[in-house]
Amino acid sequence: MKLTRDQTRVLAAAAGLEIPDEDLESVTLRVSALLESMEQIEAELGAEMDGVEPVPPVFPREDFD
Amino acid sequence: MPTSSTDIVFLSAAEQGRLIRDGKLSPVELMQACLARIERWNPVLRAYITVCAESAMAEARTAEREIVAGHWRGLLHGLPFGVKDQLNTKGIKTTLGSRILADNVPDHDAAVIEKLKAAGAILIGKENLHEFGKGGTIDFPYGQPRNPWHLDYNPAGSSSGSGIAPACGFTSGSLGEDTGGSVRSPAAANGIVGLRPTFGRVSRWGGVMYGWTADTIGPLTRTVEDNALFLQAIAGHDARDPLSSTRPVPDYVSALTPGLKGLTLGVVKEMAWPEGVHPEVAAAMKEAIRVMESLGATVTEVSLPRAKYAVPLQLLTSDSDIAAMMLKKWLRTRWHDFDVGTRTRLAAGCLIPAAVYHRAMRGRALVRREVLQVLAGVDALLCPTNLNPPGRIDATKETVDSAEAMQRKVILRRISTYPFSMANVPSLAVPMGYSGKGLPLSLQIAGKPFAEDMVFRVAHAFEQASPWHDRHPVLDNLTVPGDKA
Repeated sequence: MKLTRDQTRVLAAAAGLEIPDEDLESVTLRVSALLESMEQIEAELGAEMDGVEPVPPVFPREDFD
Repeated sequence: MPTSSTDIVFLSAAEQGRLIRDGKLSPVELMQACLARIERWNPVLRAYITVCAESAMAEARTAEREIVAGHWRGLLHGLPFGVKDQLNTKGIKTTLGSRILADNVPDHDAAVIEKLKAAGAILIGKENLHEFGKGGTIDFPYGQPRNPWHLDYNPAGSSSGSGIAPACGFTSGSLGEDTGGSVRSPAAANGIVGLRPTFGRVSRWGGVMYGWTADTIGPLTRTVEDNALFLQAIAGHDARDPLSSTRPVPDYVSALTPGLKGLTLGVVKEMAWPEGVHPEVAAAMKEAIRVMESLGATVTEVSLPRAKYAVPLQLLTSDSDIAAMMLKKWLRTRWHDFDVGTRTRLAAGCLIPAAVYHRAMRGRALVRREVLQVLAGVDALLCPTNLNPPGRIDATKETVDSAEAMQRKVILRRISTYPFSMANVPSLAVPMGYSGKGLPLSLQIAGKPFAEDMVFRVAHAFEQASPWHDRHPVLDNLTVPGDKA
């Protein structure tokens, strides 16, 4: 999803964050790129993602030996 | 025997330790040599934010007395080490590379520092980094770190100083922190060895580790053996870190020598030969494969088609984890005290909707599963640590002023290290040659979870069959007019 600067401003306000004008474009580009990447990932992996738990990959329990 | 202070500082840590054990090198002499180099060249290279010269010399004298009295503690006894200024040090400023924490003095040492001190190693200083350990700092508050192989080039990050320091003989080894590639990338750019250990292998306690699903602490050293020595000292369970593993720690040094006969190594095609890989990197990678085969390994090609999603998935999740802490602490109130690269990246992390974060965590599980499935069929994976030689400092600043810049500077640049971070498997950078401009190129070796011994075994065999670890940057006559900080 490509955000507008105004949409970014509103999202930021909801987080209690006021982003100065000089930085707004950079933040907008960054968030937009990540959201667009997620759309691609959903398109390719979305159905499979439904079938796994979002367990943080921090404590491996599998047998690795 | 080394005959000059330059010879001494470029010995491997293991060699330094053996000479100290045998009474042929004094810890005081070694510390003096390292401090003299820091004093002379740190104003140009900006590897250190804080140098602990007085305490380091006092501890070196103590170490010398202990060893002479027969109380030698092991090969790290009396050796200097530096740490990324993201790890808390008792009574010593810990800035995180940020103006915001310029006066922060913790009341405790990080667990890894406690362990290195217990092994007899001596803290020589706190190393420069990208602000808060995030990549993408534009203006470094404590001076622009520079690549010692060419001052106009980037030493990479975020553990920039921790890569520069061992490469320049400022220290016997360093500890860095790696969320996505922050140990491996500076190791690669500075021509040394850097390990991201398995998540849980090394305690995170006492580090500022807000990327709680990905942050790891690992050593940066001049040789693979040195890396094994440092990991041996810092690995192991720590009840203060709730995600610390209780698995026993193997003997890493004794695992170095069996060689490669009978091993199967997988070259990840999407990470070794993607569109855009630099021809010098591709050529060095082909030569590395030839060396591995000549040593008796079977090298096969494997595929990780989902690796391409690792960077956005990790930015969507780990960046949000870190940003959540920063938002509460400082981002709302001290916006302009952050570097512009840090604050805009953190702000983006703050704005990821929770539902997207949740889905990205599911995506991470799939990428990790794929990496583990491929690793199940081989002993280790191979690819370049970076797809390009180090770039010029001015060209690699992560200014995001267009969608194209975001893709190229932020996402694609990280593609070779993030998949292994996302899988939380051990991965190591080891020198594999030099570019035409004399800048280091690096091979990455990844292993199964908790198989650091196998990663070291492969890296050590390659290192011993290659000439690259014997090269060191020549620092004489380095000057940067107008360098600030």
